[in-house]
Amino acid sequence: MTGSRSKTAVLWSVVWFNLITLSLPTIIILGASFTSGNIVQFPPDGFSLKWYGKLWLLEDFKAAFLRTVYVSVICTLISIPSGTLAAIALARYRIRFRTALQVYLLLPFTIPLVVSGLGMMIIFGEIRILGQLWPVGVALCVINLPFMIWAVSATVNALDPDLENAAANCGAPPLQAFLTVTLPAVMPGVITGALLMFILAFNEFLVSLFLTDARIVTLPVSIYNSIRSVITPDLAAVSVVYIVIAFVAVWLLDRLVGLELFLRSK
Amino acid sequence: MQAVKDVSFTLPKGAVLTILGPSGCGKTTLLRMIAGFDAPTSGEIFIQGQAVSSVPPHRRSIGMVFQKLALFPHMTAAENIAYPLKMRRFDPASIPDLVDRYLNIVQLAGMGDRRIHELSGGQQQRVAIARALSFSPDLLLLDEPLSALDKKLREEMQLEFRRIQQELAVTTINVTHDQREALVMSDEIIVMSDGVIQQADDPVRLYRQPSNRFVASFIGLTSLLRGTLVRIQGPDVTVRVGAGELHGRTAADGLSAGRPVESAIRAEQVRILGPDDPTGHFDNALQAVVVQQIFEGDRMVYQVRCPELGDALIFAFDHDPADRKRYRKNDTIQIGWNSRDLLVYEDSESRHL
Repeated sequence: MTGSRSKTAVLWSVVWFNLITLSLPTIIILGASFTSGNIVQFPPDGFSLKWYGKLWLLEDFKAAFLRTVYVSVICTLISIPSGTLAAIALARYRIRFRTALQVYLLLPFTIPLVVSGLGMMIIFGEIRILGQLWPVGVALCVINLPFMIWAVSATVNALDPDLENAAANCGAPPLQAFLTVTLPAVMPGVITGALLMFILAFNEFLVSLFLTDARIVTLPVSIYNSIRSVITPDLAAVSVVYIVIAFVAVWLLDRLVGLELFLRSK
Repeated sequence: MQAVKDVSFTLPKGAVLTILGPSGCGKTTLLRMIAGFDAPTSGEIFIQGQAVSSVPPHRRSIGMVFQKLALFPHMTAAENIAYPLKMRRFDPASIPDLVDRYLNIVQLAGMGDRRIHELSGGQQQRVAIARALSFSPDLLLLDEPLSALDKKLREEMQLEFRRIQQELAVTTINVTHDQREALVMSDEIIVMSDGVIQQADDPVRLYRQPSNRFVASFIGLTSLLRGTLVRIQGPDVTVRVGAGELHGRTAADGLSAGRPVESAIRAEQVRILGPDDPTGHFDNALQAVVVQQIFEGDRMVYQVRCPELGDALIFAFDHDPADRKRYRKNDTIQIGWNSRDLLVYEDSESRHL
């Protein structure tokens, strides 16, 4: 009895320790963004929304924000068909060089982002697309694609291997079976992966740093540039924008897929 | 690898055929070839007189209940049942009525709106059966769909399925490793092993007259005794097992005195008698020592050792254990059976030597 009680106590203290260390930076930045003073500090000096107001007036940040959305949308749109088809093919069909292909597609995981970033900078420079915005989206899709494949594979592996046979047995020709059965059945994985890709692209800093210049800088790079000059509470406000977007993504996931399903599939 | 080597059978319309065999005997491969998912390297399958080897699975009029059901997870029960009707271009106006009709047949009326994961195992089973039947296929295939259910539910579904099958008179091929399921559900049973048909017969004949040692030991609780043939006269044979001589019968051709044989005796044919009971009316009567007793509720199963037969182990059922004397481990008893119940086969292992 006492044994189980002390076990409960230990478990709960671990839980609370984790909760606090995980959320403390977020709480501090959230608090600091509402300060009425002129420096980032916690606890905040008074309460005001003036830094949010100021953020709205900062054309640089607004432009960088829109560019980041654009890049993230491109990244997500490319990853949905390529990642979904790759995951289904790898998990379902006995294709040649399957292991090699699997390793190749998961390679971006193992390569440091600095190396990927540098490599892509050279390639994009070579084919003269460096300095444009859309290639950044493509680059982010390449480095994050394993997440998409992973999310879809988890769903595909949980499916009954006879699902397509069942569709054929019901009279569906192969393409119809794929469109009406396989694809809808893996949809939870596709949605999960797509949201993950969007958030990852939205947050991505290092590769974007290589591929953008002052004209097409994305939000994370823009924040980084500002830190190097002077740290004002508007940066805290930008960070809160990030937090809000992350919450929206989690909410969407819950609405579309169900968080339970998402957590179980991992 | 050859999963199925030499299999040939014909199935009359409206009958239930069960292919029974241990896992890996080729029965599922056979079913997948009939459904069209795998192609046979040689041979041909005819459905209603039509060769179907070149027909892709979605053009065959076959309903199938899969091992793990393979219900469509993103659809409701009713949508699952309607799917084959849509794909096979039934008149859209007739689909809702058909779906309702089949929901009724499988006793899921009013549950059509449920999602698959909101249904219990037995209910999912029923949806899968309804989906396989809703388009009135020429042939229904069952790939051990009941094997994942617990015993009580499984036995319920076996009877339930038999009811549905008889109501619709659909020709059915069922695959299972469960001998009880095969006996309960079938008009005809094929026992398969190593990709070859061991015996094809109706359930009663299959049980009473197994044509070889594999079938005898696969169905029912059977004790096998290895020995040599002493005398043969028509179907009546005498065999020597250890130091004892036993009387039995055989259907095998070409047996002659001196040949190694195996004799099979079913546990329910062995009678158990006290040490001093008269044994006069049994053709075979032996002394035995109880090795273990297993109480199964409706019967007591004894495993006994016969010193006379070279310490061979024999299983015996004692029905009505409440009334009868119970014997303990190491008790000496007598066992007896009639010669028609001891089936003698050529020893299959020594034949290959």
